[in-house]
Amino acid sequence: MAVPNLTMEVVSDITLTQRRSYALADETLIRPDNAVNLYGGEWLTFDASNRLIRASNVAVVGNAATKRSFLLWMEKGSLDAQMIGKAPILFMADWEAKTLLFDAAAVVGAGAAITTVLQGLKAATIVKYGRNFTGLVGHGGAADADPVVAVVTKIAGSDGYMQIMRASRA
Amino acid sequence: MSHIEASMARQMNMSFIEKLGSPAGVQEANQEAGGFIRDRLREQAYVRTVLPPQRLTRADLQVSVQHDQLVKIVFLEPRSRAATVNFRGDMRTNFIRGAKAEAAFFTIMSEKQQKTEQELLSYDFPITKVIEDNLVKDIGEIEDRVFTINIESCVQAMQVEKNGGSATALNMTSVQAGTVVEYSVRKGELARNSTVDDAYVWPIQKKDVIDGKRMISRRRLKPFMMLLTEPDYDNVSSWTIEDTGFQIPNDTTTEGFKSNMLCSLKYIRTIKTDILREGNVYFFTEARFFGHFFVLNDPKFYVDKVLNMISFQTWEDISMILANVQAVVKVELYSADASTVDIDGLRSNFLPVSEEDLGALNNRVDQGVKFPNITASF
Repeated sequence: MAVPNLTMEVVSDITLTQRRSYALADETLIRPDNAVNLYGGEWLTFDASNRLIRASNVAVVGNAATKRSFLLWMEKGSLDAQMIGKAPILFMADWEAKTLLFDAAAVVGAGAAITTVLQGLKAATIVKYGRNFTGLVGHGGAADADPVVAVVTKIAGSDGYMQIMRASRA
Repeated sequence: MSHIEASMARQMNMSFIEKLGSPAGVQEANQEAGGFIRDRLREQAYVRTVLPPQRLTRADLQVSVQHDQLVKIVFLEPRSRAATVNFRGDMRTNFIRGAKAEAAFFTIMSEKQQKTEQELLSYDFPITKVIEDNLVKDIGEIEDRVFTINIESCVQAMQVEKNGGSATALNMTSVQAGTVVEYSVRKGELARNSTVDDAYVWPIQKKDVIDGKRMISRRRLKPFMMLLTEPDYDNVSSWTIEDTGFQIPNDTTTEGFKSNMLCSLKYIRTIKTDILREGNVYFFTEARFFGHFFVLNDPKFYVDKVLNMISFQTWEDISMILANVQAVVKVELYSADASTVDIDGLRSNFLPVSEEDLGALNNRVDQGVKFPNITASF
């Protein structure tokens, strides 16, 4: 199945969220013809030069993010992003979104399957639609040292979207 | 500022605040500020001299089906050729195709400026007008930064193509060794004959201007304009009678170089040496052989007041496309390598600084550095 165009949507008032545009360490990830191009709903963090990189190693399925990461709010191949080499992330303040980029069954490290509302979520490399993404998997709670990036507000329905909100201490 | 002027400025600030007390006032404040901004911006960015802006509307654009983004399709002239044939001969066929390129739009936005209305009253100069001016200048600087990064990409792309498909170091050492082709980038006369690969910027020579022109002329294009920094331009005034004849040294000693042309080229000089770095001299054709600068939305000025907090912000939506990468060349007045190889480790000296580092303050008042250095306690 091809990757849907809309892999993530914000469902809260976006004016209450601080969005920021940061330069990408690898601008080619914005190009839609890149085999591992970025999709909205993936999770990014900062490198030592304050540039955005994927929070996990996208080449290694099950690789978990260990640093604080941020939700990418951008459709695949967004033209303004290609023009300026920057991507918009949800940077500060709370938000709620629905996303397709998660693996409910995956157990990464000390994590757990996604089963309940308000369960913690962490960023990790998942396989979906025939390719890898830095998406969401279930957090294992107190025994899991990986950072919680979001919590479940609605388990995935028939449309495939899981609803999430920013974790207050992510 | 005199007492009368300070009083007028305080009245202006007060009037501005009072206007924000009603929806109609906010709209009026927005409209007044909007008109003022348009006039200032036309003077500001050097990209708008190289590529005169073309205003577009939604009707001129196409929409991507992948996202809610707008794009302008730009057409390039198709290729054609002729050859001699016999009376009984014929030429081959060319199935017409004109290349196309897309120019997408992006936003340049100023920082949001905020101040309480009470604190705004403490200023003895029209701070709101100063902010309007500064926001416009900030946007112009980013336009120039984007443009400068892209023209550098154009010349480096051609350097790669003409050096066997590989990025090749271009410094004094490689030039003297003959291991690099200087196709779109050329070392200046003094730089290429220096004895060390470093970031020292040599004075521009008349031959550098001629060499820049020749790089473009060799491509069946006509050089039209050059872009250089103010410090580099100042060295033109030190050209001797061998380069300029008797009259100009007399004039430049007293009044500086007055002509608006140099070796038959129009020139643009800029003080934005953190964007166009000293030592980089670019040469361009006319815009119709080079690219486009599109404006979708002129700068919009937003001002609002929530309780006692006043906010200002401005943004514009533009696009630029440099479709003919051979229409720009560069002369480097320093001997170090500025290619992507960066063999001398000095490339950062020649590229625009980051957006975050633009507009660094000159004054050190907040650090307590001013003279005479007194402290007044209230």
